[in-house]
Amino acid sequence: MQEVVRHKVLSIAADVLSVSPNLLSDQSSSKTVESWDSICHLNLILALEDSFALQFAPEEMEQMETIGQIASLVEAKLAQAGKA
Amino acid sequence: MPIVIRPHSAEHVEAVVRFNRRLMAAGAADWMQIEPGPEPSWLPKRNGQKLYNEIFLALENDEVRGAYVLKHQEFSFHGSTVHSIGYYHHPISEGMINKAYAAVGALMIRDALRQEPLLYALGMDGYDKPLPKMLKLLGWKDYLVPFYFRILRPFRFLRQMEALRQSRRNRVLMDVAAFSGAGWIGIKALDSFRTLRGGRGACTSSEVPGFGEWADDVWKNAKDSYSMTAVRNSEVLKQLYPSSQTQFTRLQVASNRAIVGWSVVAARGPKPRFGNMRVASVVDCFAAPENAPAVVRATTEALQHSHFDMVVTNQSNAEWSRAFERAGFMKGPSNFVFAASPQLSQLLSPFDEAKEHTHFTRGDGDGLPNSF
Repeated sequence: MQEVVRHKVLSIAADVLSVSPNLLSDQSSSKTVESWDSICHLNLILALEDSFALQFAPEEMEQMETIGQIASLVEAKLAQAGKA
Repeated sequence: MPIVIRPHSAEHVEAVVRFNRRLMAAGAADWMQIEPGPEPSWLPKRNGQKLYNEIFLALENDEVRGAYVLKHQEFSFHGSTVHSIGYYHHPISEGMINKAYAAVGALMIRDALRQEPLLYALGMDGYDKPLPKMLKLLGWKDYLVPFYFRILRPFRFLRQMEALRQSRRNRVLMDVAAFSGAGWIGIKALDSFRTLRGGRGACTSSEVPGFGEWADDVWKNAKDSYSMTAVRNSEVLKQLYPSSQTQFTRLQVASNRAIVGWSVVAARGPKPRFGNMRVASVVDCFAAPENAPAVVRATTEALQHSHFDMVVTNQSNAEWSRAFERAGFMKGPSNFVFAASPQLSQLLSPFDEAKEHTHFTRGDGDGLPNSF
């Protein structure tokens, strides 16, 4: 299940950031992806909320710097909500 | 390292200074600075007052990576319900100069929304800027608050126009000219025509040192007419336009000897885009909609007598807009955006209908007290 979530997060991020999924990894962040600006970051959060039917609190958004951190947070929230 | 949002406090002063230095070094505009001290210079929190500003910082360990200001103010909805509303302003993010902090902008908006779900933003310098784009993504509803101007001294206006056309330093006056017909005869004819359409009535304005009980009467008589307006009673007006701030001129307007409304006007500081023109701003105004024409006409006449070359204003309300048009004002390109959070939009439902009956002016923006 974790891999499924991780793959879906990667796919959403690639779509929002307009890059190939092959170019993204757990370490990818706004520091490493050229197109990852403030608008894209917000788009990514909203796309994830929409796709996974989740809502991120500000203190959770504080931890969303890399793809890996974002995927872990989504997994944790899905588990908490009994969706995983 | 995670970024957390906290209220500005004395322990962060040095970090704020470092943040400002980093932004300045990267070529950020002068206004992109956080006030170093934790107490806002404009509308600081005082015991018992419902109108105040608070500064919040986005912190990464001991370093500041962003900031925003939240203004708390009471608003009246159709005169019956009063809510405390948050005004999200002066957001500054290190993401503007360093993409590593791209997340800060979204984080700050979400934080402000959690503190004050009834939230609005105003101004923002047009739809092409990052903030209104982000607000749209978050489902905020918005509209452009119309901008109006009137040329009071066409000869001076055109002479400035000519100088600016030669220097090609900027475009604002030329834009205005394009809207006004770009000719002295055209401006003059339009000016007379529009003034005549405004009609003449027994309305007068008197400069007053401050707001008293008479302003409370105006507020009580007019508040029901607006779908949303900041409470403008004398207590609030004394805070917004205190007598100590001499840049503001407060005009009390009477019609047939009864006080019907007021306006606050101010001379705009010299700006290259206006050349050497003497430009006045109708910063704020209030009256029942049926008395708007009297307030606008009396205010315009007072500014004419004060030898201003041009007057500008922003008005969200449809009836005030019509009053300005009838007094010879022309509509120009606006970059003054009003945006309401989803919860605030619900209070204005149906939004498209309610927006015409809101009452927002430059006095509701973040430009006070020195830039309006």
